[in-house]
Amino acid sequence: MARGFNHKLEQQQAPAFFVRGPSAFARLVFFSALSLALIATDSRLQVLTSVRQTLVGILHPLQIVANAPSQFYNSTAEYFTTHHHLLNENQRLKQQALKQDIALQRLNTLALENDHLRQLLEANKALVESSILGEIMHVGRDPFTKKVIVNRGEVHQIVAGEAVVDATGVIGQVTRTYPRSSEVTLITDKSLAIPIQVERNGLRAIAFGHGRDNTLDLPYLPANVDIRRGDTLVTSGIDGIYPVGLAVATVSHIETTPDSPFARIICVPTGGVENHRQVLLVSIPQTESPTSTATNHAKPSGSSTNKIKTDPIKKPTQQTPEKPQASLQDKQHAPE
Amino acid sequence: MRPSKLQSIYLSLLLAFICILLPWAGFSLKLRPDFLLLVIIFWLIRAPNFCNIGTAWFAGLFMDLATGGTFGQYALAYTVTAFFAVMYQRRLVLYSGTQQLFYVFLLLIISQVTLLILKIFGGAQLSGWIYFLPSVTGVLLWRIAVLFGLNTGGRARGS
Repeated sequence: MARGFNHKLEQQQAPAFFVRGPSAFARLVFFSALSLALIATDSRLQVLTSVRQTLVGILHPLQIVANAPSQFYNSTAEYFTTHHHLLNENQRLKQQALKQDIALQRLNTLALENDHLRQLLEANKALVESSILGEIMHVGRDPFTKKVIVNRGEVHQIVAGEAVVDATGVIGQVTRTYPRSSEVTLITDKSLAIPIQVERNGLRAIAFGHGRDNTLDLPYLPANVDIRRGDTLVTSGIDGIYPVGLAVATVSHIETTPDSPFARIICVPTGGVENHRQVLLVSIPQTESPTSTATNHAKPSGSSTNKIKTDPIKKPTQQTPEKPQASLQDKQHAPE
Repeated sequence: MRPSKLQSIYLSLLLAFICILLPWAGFSLKLRPDFLLLVIIFWLIRAPNFCNIGTAWFAGLFMDLATGGTFGQYALAYTVTAFFAVMYQRRLVLYSGTQQLFYVFLLLIISQVTLLILKIFGGAQLSGWIYFLPSVTGVLLWRIAVLFGLNTGGRARGS
């Protein structure tokens, strides 16, 4: 009964009691279509990156406002640290500085020697990367990706792709730059892969972030691979992005199952992926100058390819008579 | 009910957005209620002539900016949620407090499920029931706000 009654009412199409513009369903369809279009363009095309950069630049003051309370708390907490604590820290830092001074002296002589040897071998000079100190502003807002936002951006000449390290190892890579901040994907994120080398035997592999735990995976390595627990993994540098020899992770767990041809290797990052605030953004190595040499090489090779391309068009008339001769010669030779 | 002012709507949305921008980390990030969506649901119930699906869509865009994900994910989730809120707005005002609480919880879940579907399409992996914790904390926040005297309209039956 009630249904039939409602149905009759709907058919009458009484004028709306409240003026609300287009119906909710029409709005739903319109805005859903709009967002789906946005999703499609953002995931397939690069059009929206500049829009995102400018908008995030506008939001930056809001971000500073939001960070203010915690920063205030941190600074006051620092102010009220005890005398004893500071003394202890000072002592520890002095000892550390002493140790590092000694190591640095050896490093200087080694670097000079290395340079000299490289000169003798006429090899390229070892890469010296410049780096910028940044501070983590906050953790990425999406709890299911491992990202942090660092307070250095395009204004400070940060480029997407730079390695991010702390005192103990690599922690991630800059994946997106905004005017005054940049997004760093941590090495434990599922989408980040990093080319590594086992320090002990030089074995190269690629480490993938695990995503959920703070661990890294070394997939696709055979079950009899020479990796042991406690092995240190360092960057191999063959990608041309990460500097060579930075610590990445230590192997914590190896598992071989008879039903799989691959070993299951789990590593723990050495860098304080989740603890430190200060990080170094290391610029992409430039002495190999992949761009300049590539263009230098590309130009001649490009012209040669052009020649190769043009030659067959020009020469066929000249070449065709030669070919039968050659084949004839071959045939003449063949019987001998 | 006093008529709502446009300024108060935008101010509250801004405050909610700043709450989201606060440096949440670790487990608190997983607990963080969706402040912005809660405020939007509140205004959708309270002042649907000012805050409608379009407002929700815009707020969703800002969330997309803040999270750094693909543009349009939060926008779509908020749009769908706002639609269900608007559809039942006149009934929601008349609901008792508990009924309203339940419905708000459903709305939060709807937004999270929409997001989850979009994220799975984008190649994310499932993370278990912990994913839905923000809805629980969100509905708790709603309850606390009502306890502190926020008029959500759910008093028609004397709750």
